[in-house]
Amino acid sequence: MRKLFFMLILSVSVFSADLTLEIVKEVEKRPLISVEDASVSFSDGLNRKFFKMVLADLKVTSHFDVDESYKRASFDEGFDLASYAKNDLILRVKLDFDEFGNLYAAIKLFDMKKREMAFQKSYKIRGAERYPFLAHKIVCDVNDYTGAEPVDWMRRYVIFSKYTTAKNAQIVVSDYTLTYQKTVIRGGFNVFPKWGDKNQKTFYYTAYEDKPVLYRVNLYTGERKRILSSEGMVVCSDVSRDGKKLLITMAPRYQPDIYLFDTVSGELKRITKYPGIDVNGNFVENGSKVVFVSDRLGYPNIFAKKIGSVGVERLVYHGKNNSSCTAFGEYVVYSSRESDNEFGKNSFNLYLISTRSDYIRRLTATGVNQFPRFSIDGESVLYIKQFQNQSALGIIRLKYNKNYLYPLKAGKIQSIDW
Amino acid sequence: MRKSFVLGLFAAALILGGCAKKSVEIETPQEETQTTQQESATTVTEGEGIAEVTPESSMMSEEMKIQKMKAIQARAKKIYFDFDKYNIRPDQVERVDYDASLFNEEDAKEFKIRVEGNCDEWGTDEYNYALGLKRAKSVKEALAARGVASDRMTLISYGESNPVCTEHTRECWQKNRRVEFTLLP
Repeated sequence: MRKLFFMLILSVSVFSADLTLEIVKEVEKRPLISVEDASVSFSDGLNRKFFKMVLADLKVTSHFDVDESYKRASFDEGFDLASYAKNDLILRVKLDFDEFGNLYAAIKLFDMKKREMAFQKSYKIRGAERYPFLAHKIVCDVNDYTGAEPVDWMRRYVIFSKYTTAKNAQIVVSDYTLTYQKTVIRGGFNVFPKWGDKNQKTFYYTAYEDKPVLYRVNLYTGERKRILSSEGMVVCSDVSRDGKKLLITMAPRYQPDIYLFDTVSGELKRITKYPGIDVNGNFVENGSKVVFVSDRLGYPNIFAKKIGSVGVERLVYHGKNNSSCTAFGEYVVYSSRESDNEFGKNSFNLYLISTRSDYIRRLTATGVNQFPRFSIDGESVLYIKQFQNQSALGIIRLKYNKNYLYPLKAGKIQSIDW
Repeated sequence: MRKSFVLGLFAAALILGGCAKKSVEIETPQEETQTTQQESATTVTEGEGIAEVTPESSMMSEEMKIQKMKAIQARAKKIYFDFDKYNIRPDQVERVDYDASLFNEEDAKEFKIRVEGNCDEWGTDEYNYALGLKRAKSVKEALAARGVASDRMTLISYGESNPVCTEHTRECWQKNRRVEFTLLP
């Protein structure tokens, strides 16, 4: 399906903008959904926040046409069908606390086309501050009812490092909207967190001690294992799908290069040998190739190298400052500074390319868009946007050509992983 | 000033304390001396207690060493870089010459040098840290070429995490694209 989509996108470049319109048309046929809040009013406004979160989640699936008005209802009464004549679905949500203090949500989904209750379910979560996860799970279930592609990426954690003071940064785990946040590493200078396995049970990060040290941490037991250290810098840039191999940027002789580290055998292999900057390695094409950022042409740009071979292939022939990338399968998203000198405008845009074609698609249009990260299914890209002194978290739904922004209350982000 | 006064008081108290202790100790040897005199030998061992003052005085010299190190570090000049570049600009060569001769001074030779690379806020994560490291490396090599021993120098990159200026202006970004030095004992 994904291939089909990208073929579709590829043909966009060939047949100009027509197919883009086609995509939008397809998107217009989405089911119309309204949400009703049947909660008692919470004194801290939690029910309103929850309502907003459900709406935002429904929108970001790109599978619904979302009625954004705030509606109240009584949970046990029937639906006012006359006022929802144009609707396909009505979601009624009642937020409460159960007798054990858990945050509890009961929902009813009514299918207007079939004129019947689609399903009725209840959910609970410990700790009211974790309400975003409750909303994400509900929206995943509503989405699944429609038969649309799963949006389980919504339920995944995001891990990021944020600066607190100079040379101080902490590592935080959050939901994908960065609304719920829990600091997991504090004190000192902790940077470049990266998930260590697809189930997000472990993560890697760099701590600055006498020299930079790479650690692996179990998120649940807190067990911390020292992996390796290097002079100058050490960063875990990517983890293979099976979690066994890492691409590491390090500089044992103060020369930043990309290394392949086997976590099972402990073997460390140098992949790049250029005397300038080689960083940000990402596995592509089932781990046979590495896509990375290098200044070998005198400015940062995106290159690829087959593991074990000597030749390096230039991937991007556009832009003069492409300094960060993320990869999935054969696709690469990179951020490009739209000016190559400091007096140019400070605008960074994200672009999508394939390692197997010359196709380029611009994903953002304004502001400073950085830190792109593919979702686990490769269908969405998370990024950070700065625009007119405001920061936002962005989600691009590649398939639907849709871009969603959340206001960001996280301070200055050093690095992020999804 | 107030700090050195307090330190002085502290040292004086220690010395006085040492003296008091010494006088007690001397009393015992005197008795011993008297007894030994009665026997035959004349070994006199007073004054050993004075040695207790020496650890304090060596701590003073350690303190002075740190002060000297900080003073040299404060005299070092920062090296500034162009946007997205890590080569040393012609207008910065004079500053590198100055730093090299500073670090080559007899007084400075006992100290190690941590060369710290920094960047402005405009790079993205990994690349910015690598850029900071390359800046530090350029400076290290330039210093080594001017006679500063390579094994005295270690390098670190702080990327954009250690700004000296936090306004969002060009002047500010210029100040942040720099290499600076921390001396280590």
